[in-house]
Amino acid sequence: MKELAEVLKDWEAVIGLEIHTELTALDTKMFCGCKLSHDDEPNANVCPVCLGLPGALPVPNKRAIESIVKAGIATNCQIQKRSMFYRKHYFYPDMAKNFQTTQGPVAFAMHGRLDLEVTGRGAAERPACAFGAAEAESLASASANAEGLSTAMNKQMAEGRAAVGALSAMSGYDTAGLAVPELHEDGSYTVPIRILRIHMEEDAAKMVHVGGEEGRIGGAAESLVDYNRCGTPLIELVTEPDLRTPEEARLFMEKLRRIFLTLGISDCSMEHGSMRCDGNVSLRRRGETSLGTKTELKNLNSFKALHDGLAYEICRQAEVLEEGGTIYQETRHWEPSRKRTQVMRVKETADDYRLFPDPDLAPFDLTDEFIERCRAEIPELPDAKRDRFEADFGIKRADAEQLAGDPDMAAFFERAAAGRSGKEAQTVANLIVNELTGFLKASGADLAASGIAPAQVASLARLLASDAISSNQAHEVFGAMAETGEDPEAIVDARGMRQVSDAGALQPIVDEVLANCPDQAQQYRDGNQKVIGFLVGQCMKASRGTGNPKLFNELLRASLS
Amino acid sequence: MALSREDVRGIADYARIALADDELTEMTDYLNDAVQMLEPVLAYDVPDIEPTFHPIGDLANVMRSDEEEAARSLDLPHALGNAASVSERYFRVPSILGEEGDR
Amino acid sequence: MAAFLDSLTASRIAAGVSAGDFTAREVAEASLAAIAAREPQVQAFLQVTSELALAAADAVDSARAAGAPLGPLAGVPLAIKDNMNLIGTRTTCASRMLEGYESPYTATCVQRMLDAGCIPMGKANMDEFAFGSSTDSSAFHPTNNPWDLERVPGGSSGGSAAAVAAGEVALSLGSDTGGSIRQPAALCGVVGMKPTYGAVSRYGVVAFGSSLDQVGPFGRTVEDVALAMQALTAAGRDPQDGTSRDCAQDFLAHLDDPVEGRRVGIVPALMEAEGLTPEVRAAVESAARTLADQGAELVEVDLPHLDAAIAAYYVIGPAEAFSNLARFDGIRYGYQEPGCSNLAAQSAKSRAHGFGAEAKRRQMLGAYLLSSGVYDTYYYAAQKARTLITADYASAYEKVDAILMPACPRTAFKHGEISDPTQMYLSDLYTISINIAGNGGVSVPLGLGADSGLPVAAQLVGPAFADRDLLTFARAVERGREDEVAGAAAGAVAPAFAGKGGELA
Repeated sequence: MKELAEVLKDWEAVIGLEIHTELTALDTKMFCGCKLSHDDEPNANVCPVCLGLPGALPVPNKRAIESIVKAGIATNCQIQKRSMFYRKHYFYPDMAKNFQTTQGPVAFAMHGRLDLEVTGRGAAERPACAFGAAEAESLASASANAEGLSTAMNKQMAEGRAAVGALSAMSGYDTAGLAVPELHEDGSYTVPIRILRIHMEEDAAKMVHVGGEEGRIGGAAESLVDYNRCGTPLIELVTEPDLRTPEEARLFMEKLRRIFLTLGISDCSMEHGSMRCDGNVSLRRRGETSLGTKTELKNLNSFKALHDGLAYEICRQAEVLEEGGTIYQETRHWEPSRKRTQVMRVKETADDYRLFPDPDLAPFDLTDEFIERCRAEIPELPDAKRDRFEADFGIKRADAEQLAGDPDMAAFFERAAAGRSGKEAQTVANLIVNELTGFLKASGADLAASGIAPAQVASLARLLASDAISSNQAHEVFGAMAETGEDPEAIVDARGMRQVSDAGALQPIVDEVLANCPDQAQQYRDGNQKVIGFLVGQCMKASRGTGNPKLFNELLRASLS
Repeated sequence: MALSREDVRGIADYARIALADDELTEMTDYLNDAVQMLEPVLAYDVPDIEPTFHPIGDLANVMRSDEEEAARSLDLPHALGNAASVSERYFRVPSILGEEGDR
Repeated sequence: MAAFLDSLTASRIAAGVSAGDFTAREVAEASLAAIAAREPQVQAFLQVTSELALAAADAVDSARAAGAPLGPLAGVPLAIKDNMNLIGTRTTCASRMLEGYESPYTATCVQRMLDAGCIPMGKANMDEFAFGSSTDSSAFHPTNNPWDLERVPGGSSGGSAAAVAAGEVALSLGSDTGGSIRQPAALCGVVGMKPTYGAVSRYGVVAFGSSLDQVGPFGRTVEDVALAMQALTAAGRDPQDGTSRDCAQDFLAHLDDPVEGRRVGIVPALMEAEGLTPEVRAAVESAARTLADQGAELVEVDLPHLDAAIAAYYVIGPAEAFSNLARFDGIRYGYQEPGCSNLAAQSAKSRAHGFGAEAKRRQMLGAYLLSSGVYDTYYYAAQKARTLITADYASAYEKVDAILMPACPRTAFKHGEISDPTQMYLSDLYTISINIAGNGGVSVPLGLGADSGLPVAAQLVGPAFADRDLLTFARAVERGREDEVAGAAAGAVAPAFAGKGGELA
């Protein structure tokens, strides 16, 4: 198979995502008062409603509706005041009623947009030909073709009646005014990704397949059903097919995750399945306006899987097409261990879900007051926070972006860097991005449980910024601080680590090292600049790590010239 | 247009109702009779009239607070008590993909 | 002096228990005795809950002994339609599918009746999953009309109507999706009310058509039905039913208000409709005269879109029924076909063998009507017809306070007399449009028909959430008949069963 970069020169990949997010921050399920389960025993959190017992009736969770309205506002969607819940029928034991309660043609949030900043190596995935005027046509033609737009369900909705006032709203995308990505000189670019809709629904039960390979359904002798997860509030975001590279898909997912984390509506764990992503992808020759047949990718349960699964599928489709083969509309499963996608099922005809408005659930006609109250409760969003961190603290944009994306980290940074800017603030940012994040990852603890306080990091940053300790020492101090909870100043003093930045005190060490290493000194004089590193190392050793390495470097060069 | 036996078989497959051959014939007759009886309603497929999905016209925004209702929760014996096949704490279903042959 | 339980109204029983004239246990035992003596002929019950009944009766008696206040229906024997959940009972919906299904929770409507002091005597027979007008589609046995055992009690709440008409209980609960309370009430000569949609909680009542179903009471007098309505609604809306509304009001205070000067609508087209028997027509006209005699003004009104009601109903009802019954796949509960090697076969065979013929027909029709393409044509048209029918009633209620019409075009038919399902559907002509509009309706007995000698009835229908008013009109009709000698006296049980077991010691 050809490499992705090669493929994307000839072929345009048209990618849309469907992202499901469980509202794990809530206390109870979507339509009943059962506790949301995390790791409870099977079927411990069930009631007549979520078990679909005869006679049970659903009543929507207000906080779930507030959460989706916030999600809509935060992704620049139009909040639809009037919408209804629908029943989507399919016979499968993970749905206790054999229908899923979801939304119809009108979702609570529609027609949003997120702008992606694509930088670095990832930006190179989009070839130079995919910018400017040609791209405007590409976007318009992709959107106009509802066939390739999204799932069968959305297609069925699109075919539904205009009587609910939805069709005009659904098909009337304004692609004319849409910004197209422009390539910057440094190779980065910004691309707007439109969001078709975010709708509210309920999650399905968990199935355990017994006897099949790796717990998969194929070959399983029987399956076991646990309804704890059944009825968990779930929001599904569907993008327009505006994504063109696996990197853009990955960045979109990351960005969305940061927003939802900031909103505090979900723990957004891809690992535990509280945030899940399916990718729809089709290829067409560059310049072509009609869409190719798409496949739907499942099991993209990490950012890496999302990127690699899409990349593989794009290359696979290109190979099939270039060999004169046909792409079938099918669902494929990404197998990360084997680095390939496998067919799950072929969709010969569009599924007929027999959607109709749920008569048990009164329609919604959200008031301005309700929507405004949700808006007022939205905290500062990651993009705004990133810009503020960059402007107010003067830290690097990439660090600001990373810090702003995690609400806990962002709050920690603000407290640790309070009143500082420039180098000092950047030092705080470095410590959080490198030391703190690394420590949390290694220890598996979360920030709150780690017991590390912003004041400690601030204190450590002061020591570093004033050159009292070296970066290497800072790493050691951080470890000690995390373990003992002591203040960095005390640790540095107790260990006698305070870095010496006094040239008068260091010069004798330099002289001694040069006397002991005449060969290396001569090599430097002969033009081997690299050997200076060895000499600095000898000085550090001789000073038992307390000397300022930068100063040693300067003093060595001065002595040798 | 009348529904054929094959149409009706397709509906029965979808609705997960296994119909024997004689039942299929009877059901086809019934559905065609019933659909004929429904014809008067087609005259009402007119523009400018909003459909009524919910009989209480002004009912909207019915929600519950996000509070646990422990009293409604079912303990395991009650949750599983009416199921014909269970396995420990689970409901049990036979092979999902299985052979379709005996359907 | 010994009295038979069946000569007492619910109101009188509750008063007697409160006053200490007899104990709730004596009432419950009398009811059990009446049931034992009459059930062989009537077969109104699928399950008689003696233990629950005696325990509930003892609780009432202990409360009284302790000086605690008693509920307004203390000690009143109640039959519960078998589509309503009650812990400690099976809820079968008269279907093999749910044979042996033990209720893990209790329906709100049942709980409220129990909270008011009712004694749960048992679960009443019905058409399977409420699909029918005869109770003959019960998977277990038919129920016989107490006025003529060869005839049906009507349906789908046939067991609930027959149990009251035979004097086995004083009150019962039914559910009405297209006439399933009002039609059997008419055929059994008792009062039956379908309240406005949303007045009574549907939580715990196995759904048929979610936008059409409504729970209501049967009694032998209008006052008893008013007492039951009070018990069902007094606690306000049910937070577990998102389509329920607060409509608590005093159903008794205005029951005997005069109807003088109030306007009652008559729909000429309905009085001329094909299939309406002369004796039913004569009875409805006599009810109109009764109201006019009491000073009510009779006003002709028109409901121009009523001709679409049956068709609209048989689109909306089956569509909702298909959806509501999809959950019966034999996995979590219900009949499971043994020995299936894969899930699809297990579901399809469980459903094929668990459901009876009519339940399968309705679901098949619903699955067809909701399918892609067909849905657009029929479902939208039906819901638009619903808009127009609702508007028809609304404009009629600008002119009148209630409308008087037949409840059923004829008296009770014989078992098996109507075998064609689509012909059976047409007998719902007078009841269905009220479910479509969501308004309330009450069936009031008018004695026996001159031709058949069987119970005849009229139906009063009213604006949304004006159910109390409707009972005032029903009471006026009942009052007008109280002195009449011909036919059955108001509040009487079917004569073949009067005093047959159930003596209060």
